[in-house]
Amino acid sequence: MKRKIELYGRLRDAGFGSVVLLELPKAATGRQAMSALKSAFGAKAALLAGCALATGDEVLSPSDALPDGRLAVLPPVCGG
Amino acid sequence: MTSVTASRLDPAALCRAVSSPKHGAVASFVGTVRAVHAGRRVKAVSYDCFVPLAEKELARIAAAAERRWPVRVAVAHRTGRLAVGTASVAIAAGSGHRAEAFEACRFVIEEIKRRVPVWKKEHYLKGDGRWLAGCALHRRRA
Repeated sequence: MKRKIELYGRLRDAGFGSVVLLELPKAATGRQAMSALKSAFGAKAALLAGCALATGDEVLSPSDALPDGRLAVLPPVCGG
Repeated sequence: MTSVTASRLDPAALCRAVSSPKHGAVASFVGTVRAVHAGRRVKAVSYDCFVPLAEKELARIAAAAERRWPVRVAVAHRTGRLAVGTASVAIAAGSGHRAEAFEACRFVIEEIKRRVPVWKKEHYLKGDGRWLAGCALHRRRA
């Protein structure tokens, strides 16, 4: 199934815009999504170092199943 | 009282929000865009944000501060492109005494830097720009 993953921070400058579409198994985990993201990023996959997947409620661990709703891949943060 | 906003911050409003006749102290912290960073002259900083999670994390941080100290906390974080000198984050803590108000303010800004999904891109006078390094996020179990 197709899942839309939102991009933030440095990932917005990777040339994919603000969203990537991934083809993932129905019960995919965070680990599977990150692997698919690395494939989609190709030569720019190094930008994903230190990134985490998250919903609008919480950061996901690699073993978490992807829930419905918004999904984003988040680089290391530096607010303030 | 927590928020993520594209509008100008109002630190005085945050201070009023945490004030009480029972309080003898209101401490505040305002982070602003600096003109020089790592030897580069900065003209502006763009703040990118995953808003739904950022709003929840700010609320969680404020609640954690209020559990840890007898304080009331208000915090607001900007998004968008901000010129040098513009406030990017504002925190206010009201309490009976100054020690816990100062400590709560410090706690809140350090937690923001560690776990709120916000990213800064500096824009330099020479025309180039750079995303700043930060802290990797991890799943936080309740």
